[in-house]
Amino acid sequence: MLDTTESLPLLKVILGLIPLLPLLAALWIAIGFIFSWNRGESGEKQTSAVALGAISLSFLLILALDVFALVKGLPSATISLGEWLSSGEYHINISFIMDYKSLVMATLVGFITLIVTKFSVNYLHREAGFQRFFMMLSVFNAAMFLMTLSGNAILTFIGWELAGVSSYLLIAYSWHRDVATTNATRAFVTNRIGDAGFILAIAFSFFWLGTVDWIEMGSMITSKIHIGIILFGFMIAAFAKSAQFPFSAWITRALEGPTPSSAVFYGSLMVHAGVYLLIRTESLLIQAPALMVFIILTGLVTIVYAYIVGLVQTDVKSSFMFSTLAQVGLMMVWIGLGWFELALGHIVAHAVWRAYQFLHAPSFMQQVTSPAAPVPQWLNQKTWLYTAALQRFWLDGIADWMLTKPTRALANEVQVFDEQVVDRITGIPSNTTMLNTLSHWEAQQQGKFTVSSDVGKGRGIFGKSLELFAGSLQVLEERFILKGSGEGLMKAVNFLGNYLVRIDKLLTQPRYVLVLIMATFVVVL
Amino acid sequence: MDKDNAMYAAYSALHFSDFPWLSLLLVILPVGAALTLVVPESKARLMALTTHLLVLAVTVIIAVNFDADLSGFQMVEKNPWISSLNIHYFIGIDGLSVLFLPAAALLFMMVTLSSWNNIQTLRRSYFSLILILEFAILGVFSALDTILFLFFWETTLIPLYFLLSLWGVGANRRYAGMKYVLFMMTGGLPIAFAFVLLAIQPDGSYVFDYTQLVQVADDNPYQSIIFFLLLFGFGIKTPLFPMHTWLPVLAQEGHPGTIATLVGIKLGAYGLLRFTVPMAPDAAHTYQWLLIGLGITGVVYGAVAALSQTNIRRMLAFSSLSHVGMVVLGIATFSIQGIQGAVFQLLNLTMVAGGLFLLSGFLLQCIGSTDIISLGGVAKTMPLLTSFFFFLGLANMGVPGTSTFPAEFLIIISALNSYTGVGLAALFGVILGAAYFLGIFRKAFLGECRNDIIADAVDLKPRELFIAFVMSALVLIVGLYPQLILGVIEKSSMDWLGVITR
Repeated sequence: MLDTTESLPLLKVILGLIPLLPLLAALWIAIGFIFSWNRGESGEKQTSAVALGAISLSFLLILALDVFALVKGLPSATISLGEWLSSGEYHINISFIMDYKSLVMATLVGFITLIVTKFSVNYLHREAGFQRFFMMLSVFNAAMFLMTLSGNAILTFIGWELAGVSSYLLIAYSWHRDVATTNATRAFVTNRIGDAGFILAIAFSFFWLGTVDWIEMGSMITSKIHIGIILFGFMIAAFAKSAQFPFSAWITRALEGPTPSSAVFYGSLMVHAGVYLLIRTESLLIQAPALMVFIILTGLVTIVYAYIVGLVQTDVKSSFMFSTLAQVGLMMVWIGLGWFELALGHIVAHAVWRAYQFLHAPSFMQQVTSPAAPVPQWLNQKTWLYTAALQRFWLDGIADWMLTKPTRALANEVQVFDEQVVDRITGIPSNTTMLNTLSHWEAQQQGKFTVSSDVGKGRGIFGKSLELFAGSLQVLEERFILKGSGEGLMKAVNFLGNYLVRIDKLLTQPRYVLVLIMATFVVVL
Repeated sequence: MDKDNAMYAAYSALHFSDFPWLSLLLVILPVGAALTLVVPESKARLMALTTHLLVLAVTVIIAVNFDADLSGFQMVEKNPWISSLNIHYFIGIDGLSVLFLPAAALLFMMVTLSSWNNIQTLRRSYFSLILILEFAILGVFSALDTILFLFFWETTLIPLYFLLSLWGVGANRRYAGMKYVLFMMTGGLPIAFAFVLLAIQPDGSYVFDYTQLVQVADDNPYQSIIFFLLLFGFGIKTPLFPMHTWLPVLAQEGHPGTIATLVGIKLGAYGLLRFTVPMAPDAAHTYQWLLIGLGITGVVYGAVAALSQTNIRRMLAFSSLSHVGMVVLGIATFSIQGIQGAVFQLLNLTMVAGGLFLLSGFLLQCIGSTDIISLGGVAKTMPLLTSFFFFLGLANMGVPGTSTFPAEFLIIISALNSYTGVGLAALFGVILGAAYFLGIFRKAFLGECRNDIIADAVDLKPRELFIAFVMSALVLIVGLYPQLILGVIEKSSMDWLGVITR
């Protein structure tokens, strides 16, 4: 064990640089694009060099960390680089964790992203979005490093979300195609539901555990219910990110991205992020056996779902995707059984293999000589199951019917409510008759269109009541001044005068000042 | 009682200034406005820009010289104004208000730059009125005398009326401008009444000094009345849920630059924070449920209504309603995270909501519409505008890496802590935030280019690029290191809480 009390400036610098380098590369590419020094084909070399250089350096730094850990041992606590945010009793550090889980995962991430970045240099040559792609890939690399190495849940969440954003951008890579952009939106919003779970888990960790530090979280003592609720949040997030049943639908939509991006995202890295998150919460999970059973069940359902649907797929990428899902389901089962090391090993093996397969996918058809195996007999005979498999169990449709449609309907109703009810009550014009266009003017010249004056007409509650008030004043004025012909007016004035003197006396007392203010207020409104 | 006094003393301590920086601001602006009016028409915008730069420099000096470890108000100046009524020219800033000065100054400079050559008529008046508006708004943030505050508060209406009705882009701009002013006058009256109610002391004297009023606020027998008057008055401007209808109308009718200042600088929310709660602390506690309810209603209502909008500017208006609901929610939790998050979020919105409106203004100027029916495929010819719009949109959604994430996160955490159900509803609003923004972004900016105007459109010009770049860079820097802002707000937020919680 390494004592963390001794200062390790070099270690801190290395840990900080690992996610920072790709992030800086992304910024550099973005700024270069804005000020157009790397646009077009001539900028490709520079762009890819920056992206590749950053990720290579990060990978080397991770290897250095591995060597360091092998020689000197692992630190027993998270390594903090400083405070990121503090408010009241909540303090969030930029902290990193170095244990075998994070090092194995980070090495894997570094290795695969390096290969994929290298592969993309040639694959995307002369693509219009070359610079964009490498920028997003760099953001993604940074996000994955942050997610795997971060020492607390918030920093993990930041990486988690950045990976989500870059996945949105990569799915919508060919932004002029409606399918791609719809799928991207869909994938992002589905992931957002998982993110809500993540935020809940973080918030409740703060309340009940008093910390979001991954290492400290395990050692805090709180009731089983609390741990269950915290874990439930993390679990929802993990299921959404790893596309477990019933969140499976978005991941096939994500295949819209160019092949290298599907490789890193869905085949080998991001789909495992959920599994990694659950591995991270190991110390909490072992205290909640009921949830572990739930995780096993979800994993099993996903395996069955992915297996059946995978049987009827007719394109290479989709088949890979469903077999990926089944494998990830299996990892969930390992986690549910408490075999966290096995799950981690499974991630590594599966990620490397799947990355190879996905990168290979475009040339796959040229290399296979025999046709794909037909759908097995038992599935062929059960028409209903076959249909369900073809339709991917209508997961998208169900989500539409349960979530998207009601929300849309609600949105439309709110819009109508806003225009018909709130607008009318508060009196903002939606339309007024005015000479807005030349044709209106022409129509008015020909007497076909009249412009009604709005002066003296009220809208909304305030407007109407003001109009009423003005109307009654008008009546008053007519009665007394026009019809009263002097005498009536004089009488009224005398009468009023006496009253006013009395009121004046009363008004000098403070309580009536208040009453008067209130009365004026009521009237004015 | 001694402890209470210590808290009041902390919140309302006064640190007088050696040099009248704040007054300097309040002098430069009207002088600049007057000069802008008299210089030749072609020089007016340069004159205005110079003034904005000067003001920005002074506000930055103020922010740099501000000592975040001190309690109470700094850079204070106090001189008698109307002695017979005990009214003073009394200004100063604390951690809650100091950062609004550079933020507002920057936004106003950007608004001037963004309208550099799209103002065809009465240019001198336009640029001069923008300066007057800035004068009033900076005054609102620094006034410590309630009458002085009211003076600045109502002064904002005069330039806004002309800006809205003369240089609006919609057909109904005059009507919209008039309605806006009427609405805001309706809001101004209860504020004035509340200030009068507060001013009358049991011994018959008048007090308009904010720092003194805070100390006697909880002895006031009319707290509930004051609370509702101030809630209504500031709520209209904020806007809170049923009184928000002016905002989408204005968003469509007004000049995008003018609207950027309206949605970017949310004076109403600042008023709620500065006056409504501390001036009626007991009532605020009694009606905390109402504040929370108004906040969360705004969050969800704004987000849901934004989903069905077909115009980018209207969508942004409803989105703004949703965000300001989040701010009110943060204030209403009466917790340190909530307050810090709320002030932080208000500052963010200056860049995010203001920036998005300015960008949609560029789009409007270039294409002639921000309706999704006449857009689509904008990314093809305007990649830079699309990228910046998307980046600020990410901030609008509260994605980590942008400055809104830590702010929203603090507010949601404090809401979950005090009212779990409300926190859950706020999370729902956050999910919808992604849905409505990405939905309209997809339809307007992505997809096939179906329109000749879009096919020939020119991307951001250097001046516009500068605006978008500065706004986005600030959002990113603060997002990566939020402590930069939170550190300044912290002390005053704690003192604020000390005053209202006993």
